[in-house]
Amino acid sequence: MNATTLHPFEDSQPTVLLIDDSVDVHRLLKARLRYEDLKLAGASNGKEGLEQARTASPAIVLLDLDMPDMDGFEVLRRLKDDPATLDIPVIVLSGLQSAQDKVTAFDLGAVDYITKPFNLTELRVRVRSALRLHRLVQMLAQRAQIDGLTGLWNRAHFNKRWTDEVSACTRHHRPLSLALIDLDHFKTINDTYGHPAGDAVLQGLSRVLQRECRQEDVGCRYGGEEFTLIMPDTTPTDAAGVCERILAALASISWPRHPERAVTASIGLAGPDVTADLSADQWLDEADRALYAAKQSGRNRVVTRLIGQVTPMAKAG
Amino acid sequence: MPRGENQPKAGPITSEYASDPDMSELVDLFVTELPARLAAIRSAHDAGNGGAFARLVHQLKSAGSGYGFPGIAERAAAVEDGLRSGGLASVQRQVSELLELCARASTGR
Repeated sequence: MNATTLHPFEDSQPTVLLIDDSVDVHRLLKARLRYEDLKLAGASNGKEGLEQARTASPAIVLLDLDMPDMDGFEVLRRLKDDPATLDIPVIVLSGLQSAQDKVTAFDLGAVDYITKPFNLTELRVRVRSALRLHRLVQMLAQRAQIDGLTGLWNRAHFNKRWTDEVSACTRHHRPLSLALIDLDHFKTINDTYGHPAGDAVLQGLSRVLQRECRQEDVGCRYGGEEFTLIMPDTTPTDAAGVCERILAALASISWPRHPERAVTASIGLAGPDVTADLSADQWLDEADRALYAAKQSGRNRVVTRLIGQVTPMAKAG
Repeated sequence: MPRGENQPKAGPITSEYASDPDMSELVDLFVTELPARLAAIRSAHDAGNGGAFARLVHQLKSAGSGYGFPGIAERAAAVEDGLRSGGLASVQRQVSELLELCARASTGR
């Protein structure tokens, strides 16, 4: 999957996590869900289930209520209290049949409640139904993060993704680079050739990003004629190479609406050689300063700002 | 609990899923493991360990239904009901009936 572009719904074989202390239930579900297009993960107690819910990103959780140590209500409460697992639909499987137990489970956020002993065919169709709903919700959530004109991720996605990437980079001491890309004199293209021509340029740059970026890079339309490119596991030196390729590819495009007018961009790049204790916002500010420097020093170039110092690895286009 | 109460007094009972190719292997496993389950239930009962006893019976109820032995599930449910209303000492008869029925469980092959 190229993280830069909108991709088909990727969760084609979702994971269903079963949290139940009964080995029989695990065996039975494994047999009964064998031919479903899903992966079945299992946990035999609440603590293990919570860990797996965080790490395995299940599409749904099947949760027993009557478990020793931590009961299912507590597991459900913790799943819904944790932002990482809050949105995972939970189907309760329980021998507790009182109305109050059901009310409590739904109040805590369960989407369905199946009483034991359960009919396995009924369970199978309820799982299918929950998975369908999960896919629809994910598709809607994904579409809400896509820029309609370019098909790139939008600013809302960038904000979340960037924060996550900075956090992961700090935690795992991995390199990370961020590029802010701004089309040069874009307003004059709109003013001279009209907005359809401007839109074509925005789409053209997005195609360049899709073509020139690596699989793990995340390209976003930040707003207007400004784009961002998150490059995980990439030092500023390597990221500068990617940015140079982008500028070269953009400059080589012949634009049908204005073949006489080339289009260029300026890029501000920020990243540390070693892990720096920098917030996502501070890092973004550094990239913005580098972009400003690129504009001030003549446009159509990459300026790299190493955290803590300014090294204008500028290259005139 | 007197030994030998769970000796079969009637013909074998087989799973509703005995001919289901997806389930037959699991049913065989359930039947094979059943004596160990019964021994554990009997042991918990004899030791007066109400918590372990209740859990084992509860699991057997769920398993009985899941593996296609609704009669076992019903008998286990009767033990649970008795346990709730009268405690461990009051369920001797229900336990005997449960163990007796379980002893008749067969793979059918």
